[in-house]
Amino acid sequence: MLAILGQQADPSAKPVAPVGSSGSALTIGAVIALTGNANLYGQDQRLGLDLARRWSESLPLAPGDPPRRPLKLQLEDGGSDEATAIAAFNLLIKQGVLALIGPTLSQQAFAADPIAQRRGVPVVAPSNTAKGIPQIGPFISRVSAQSSVIAPLSIAEALRRDPAIQRVAVFYAQDDAYSAAEVLIFQKALKARGLAPVTVQRTQLADNDFQIPITAALQLQPQLVVISVQAVAGGNLIRQLRELGYRGQIVVGNGLNTPNIYPICQRWCDGILIAQAYSPELDTPINRTFLRLVRGSNPGQAPSQIAAQAWSSYQVLFEAVQRLQQRGGFEGLNLGQTRAALMEELLAGRYDTPLGPIHFQKDGELVQGRFYVAEVRMDPGGRTGRFALVGDASAPASSAPAATSAATPAASPPER
Amino acid sequence: MIESLLQTLLNGAASGGVYALVALGYTLVFSVLGVINFALGALFSLGGYLTYLLMGGRISANGALPGWGLPLALPFPLALLLAAALTGLASLVVEQLAFAPLRRRNAEPLLYLITSLGAGLVLVNLLQMLMGAEGYAFPANALAGLPAAVMVAGARIRSVQVLLLAVCAAAVLALTLWLERSRGGRALRAVAEDATTARLLGINSDAMLRLAFLLSGALAGLGGGLIGVSISLPGPYVGIGYGLKGLAVLVLGGLGSVPGAIAGGLLMGLAEALVPSQASGWRDALAFAILFAVLLLRPSGLLGRRLVEKV
Repeated sequence: MLAILGQQADPSAKPVAPVGSSGSALTIGAVIALTGNANLYGQDQRLGLDLARRWSESLPLAPGDPPRRPLKLQLEDGGSDEATAIAAFNLLIKQGVLALIGPTLSQQAFAADPIAQRRGVPVVAPSNTAKGIPQIGPFISRVSAQSSVIAPLSIAEALRRDPAIQRVAVFYAQDDAYSAAEVLIFQKALKARGLAPVTVQRTQLADNDFQIPITAALQLQPQLVVISVQAVAGGNLIRQLRELGYRGQIVVGNGLNTPNIYPICQRWCDGILIAQAYSPELDTPINRTFLRLVRGSNPGQAPSQIAAQAWSSYQVLFEAVQRLQQRGGFEGLNLGQTRAALMEELLAGRYDTPLGPIHFQKDGELVQGRFYVAEVRMDPGGRTGRFALVGDASAPASSAPAATSAATPAASPPER
Repeated sequence: MIESLLQTLLNGAASGGVYALVALGYTLVFSVLGVINFALGALFSLGGYLTYLLMGGRISANGALPGWGLPLALPFPLALLLAAALTGLASLVVEQLAFAPLRRRNAEPLLYLITSLGAGLVLVNLLQMLMGAEGYAFPANALAGLPAAVMVAGARIRSVQVLLLAVCAAAVLALTLWLERSRGGRALRAVAEDATTARLLGINSDAMLRLAFLLSGALAGLGGGLIGVSISLPGPYVGIGYGLKGLAVLVLGGLGSVPGAIAGGLLMGLAEALVPSQASGWRDALAFAILFAVLLLRPSGLLGRRLVEKV
C-alpha cells in the first residue's frame, strides 16, 4: 500500500505536457542561502538567477523558429546549513522540478546532492568549489571552477611583482571547511615557489577582531600576507592589518571575491590581489548584457563572480532545455526521462556565458578556458571600487576547451 | 615581549568593556524583574545599525530600500549617543510586547525567556530585511582627527580600541554613580531589593521597570555602535554573539551584581585575549571553562550574593 502511495506521489512518472498546452512550463528549482551567514552569497545568487531568467524570457525568436519551452524559476531558501538545504532539495524534488541549482555552500552540497542523485534530478552547482562535488554522481555538475585551479594565480602575480619576497604570513579560518582547504592550495603554491610561511595564523569564522594574530604575525616582518577567510572577516582583517602598519602585498582567497568587501575595508582594500573565475572586464556580448542588467537592477549594484556564476548555472540549463526542445521536444517522455535527457544534453553542450566559454567534462566537472587575476582599486572616497583585471591565464591544457571557435555555441543568443 | 603583552591586555580590556556593557544591560532588567531579556543581543545589533544610519550611512543594494539613508550625517559621538537613546526606546517597545502582557498575568519566568527570544529573532530578521545581510563599515573618517594607531609604551594599538575602552569605562562609571548617588538610581535599587516594599514607600515600580529596560537597551545600543566603529557590522546577527557572551559574564560576575558584571566582563575579555592565536579555536571553550570553574567554586558568581530562600 505504501509503495503504491509512494509511486503515486513520485512526480517523475508524470508525462511532460507539449509546448503550447497548459502546464507546459517546466520548473527549475534553486536552493540558495537566503538566510544565515551565507546569505551574503545567496543575495548575489538570487540577483544572478533573476537576471538570467529575465534575460532568457526576453530573447527574441527568429522567424520560423519553433516555440521555446517555457521555464519557471522557483527559489527555495537553503539556509546556511546542511539540514535546511536537504529539506529544500526534498521539497522541490517532490514538487516535480526539472533540475536543481544550488546549494550555496560546498558542505551543503555534500549533504544534499546525493538526494538529487538518487532521484535522478540534474543539479548545477553555481558556487561549490570544493574538490569532489561533481564526483558525487552523474547527475551532479557545476559551473564554479575548483579553487585549486584558480588560487595559485594570485600568488604568482604577487611574486611576479616582487620576486624578492621571502617572508610570507598566512591567515585562515580554521573552522571553515572551504578556507581550510583553500589555504592548503595557497601553501602548495608557495612551496612550489620555494617559500614556506613564516607564520600560519588560525582564526575563527565568526572572528572580526584580528589584532592579536596580526600583532603576532607582524613581529615576523612578512613581505606578503595570504588570507583565506570569508568576506566580512577578510575585509576587517585587511583593514586592521593596514591600521597596524603592514604595508606589503596582500593576496586573498575566493571568500573575498565579492564587491561586498568594499564597504568593509574601504580605502584599505586598495591593491589587494585576488584570482577570479569571472572578470567584469571580459569584453563579450553576453558579459556586456550581464553587466548592463546588473547595473540596472539596483543603484550601486556591482557585478560579482557569485552572481555571474549563478547566471551561468541558469543559462546552461535554459540552453540545454531549448536545444532538446528544438530537436523534437519532450513529447512522450515523462519527467524522469526528461531529467535524464536534460543531463545528457547539458554535459554535451558548449556555452558562452559571462564567465567566458565553458563546457563540462563527462563527470560534470567544469571546463573553463580563462581565469583572471584582479587588483582591487578603490575610488578616491574609499566607499566603492572595482576588481581591475591585471592578468589572465588559460586553464591547464587538460581542462581547457578544445577550440576557441567551438566554445561559442550556435545556440548562444546574441547580445541584447 | 612586554609590548606584545600590553597590546594583548588592552585588546582584552576593550572587548571586556563591551561584554561588561551588555552584562550590565542584563543585570538591570534581572534586578527588577528576575528574568533575562534575551532580546538584548538583537538590540545590540540595532544600536550598531542606528549609529551607522545616523552617521549618514546608506542602505546597500540588497536591502529593502537600496541607497536610502537619513537626510543627516551626524558626527560619530553624537550618532553613538542618539543611537543608544533610540535603542533604549526600542527596548521599551520590547518590554511592552514581550514582557508586559506576561507580567499582567503573573506568568512563569520561563515564558519571559521565550517571548524575549522571539522578540529578538523578529528584530534581527527585520534588520536583515531592511539592511540586507552584507557587512557595513562606518565611514573611514568616523574618527576624524584620530590616527589609525597610537603607540602606548612601545605597543602599537589601534586608536579605536583605546576609544572603545574609554567609552565603556565612562559608561560603566556613569551608570554606577547614577545608581549609587541619584534619587532615581536609589529608587531603582529599592525596587530591585523588594518591589512590594518599594511600592509601599511610594516608588512607582512600573516606572522603574520601564527605566531599567530603557537603560538596558541604551547600554546594548552603545555597545553595538562601538563595535560597529571598531570592527564594522558583519551582519544583523552581530549582536547575538555579544549577547551570549554578556549572558555568560552576567552569571560569572553574579546575577544582579553591577560590580560583578564589570569584573566578569573584564575577566572574560582578558582571558580570551590571552589565548594564543594558534589555539584561537579554543577561545570560547576557555571562556566558558572559566565560567564553569568559577561557578563550581562560587555558585553565586564572583561578586553575587548567595540567595536565601525566605520561608
